[in-house]
Amino acid sequence: MKEKLRIYIEALFQDAPLTQKAVELKEEILQNICDKYDDLLMQGKTEEAAYNIAIAGIGDISGLIADLGKRPGAVPQAPVYSRDEIEKEKKRSALFTIAAVALYILCLVPAILFDELFHSDLGIIITFLMVAAASALIIYNNMTKKSYKRTEDSVVEEFREWNAANAQKKQVFKSLSGALWAVVVVVYFLVSFTTFAWDRTWIIFLIGAAIEAVMKAVLDLTRTR
Amino acid sequence: MSIASDLIRGNTDTIILGHLLNGDSYGYKINKSILQKTDGLYELKEATLYSAFKRLEESGLISSYWGDEATGARRRYYTVTPAGRQAYFNMKTDWQNAKEIIDLLIEEDAGL
Repeated sequence: MKEKLRIYIEALFQDAPLTQKAVELKEEILQNICDKYDDLLMQGKTEEAAYNIAIAGIGDISGLIADLGKRPGAVPQAPVYSRDEIEKEKKRSALFTIAAVALYILCLVPAILFDELFHSDLGIIITFLMVAAASALIIYNNMTKKSYKRTEDSVVEEFREWNAANAQKKQVFKSLSGALWAVVVVVYFLVSFTTFAWDRTWIIFLIGAAIEAVMKAVLDLTRTR
Repeated sequence: MSIASDLIRGNTDTIILGHLLNGDSYGYKINKSILQKTDGLYELKEATLYSAFKRLEESGLISSYWGDEATGARRRYYTVTPAGRQAYFNMKTDWQNAKEIIDLLIEEDAGL
């Protein structure tokens, strides 16, 4: 019958968090119920009656159990990063992006230089190495990015704040980007018609894309300030 | 037991503190003593008892420790703190004042 009591109490604590507090409370209540059961037997109750009386005396402990989970630190939590850590992380990420983009932009320089000055293909190899380095930087940056989690109570507020700031930055970026591409197209036709170097002037579009990426990175950087 | 349990429940904290002033005790012992004192008329539900323990411990009126019985039964004992002693006397005074007022007000001739 004692085993039956234990099973009953275990069932009550089925959804309780696995914390020391919960285990202790369970042990405490179980001990209490067992003492009561023993006493009832001594008073001449049958095992069945004693079990029923003991169980009936417990009452509704669901609130007590639910409270166990509410204590801070009771449940294992995902790592929480402070504001400073997040800012640092954002800055680091933006710097990586800028470095990668700079490499992309400059990667054609050695190829052109070596070709023009020395008529050598060595420049192409350097170009490929630079592209590889830039790609590696971007991949590394994304893979080491932490998932941001703040303390729970401030999450909603933080999100609103972030959202508002973000909308503003997005607006700035959109207008800058629009102007940039207009300029790029104009420059492309100007340079192309003056030099007639149509085979090379397409690079201007690449440069345009690169400038856009830098712009984005710079905006990201200023956001953290 | 059901007759006045709602009225009594409001004084659970005072009752528990009062019992602990006679010496450290554990859940079942306190409940058994309540049952005996009232001649089987009143008994706390475990839910009420342990909610009260939790509340009192969080407000620093009682503290607890695990006793080590030779019999193998591990019990958590509660002891009243100085703050708890003070709170008990305040609660007791509050109850006595309330009782006097209620007695006055529920008399049939109170309004005459």
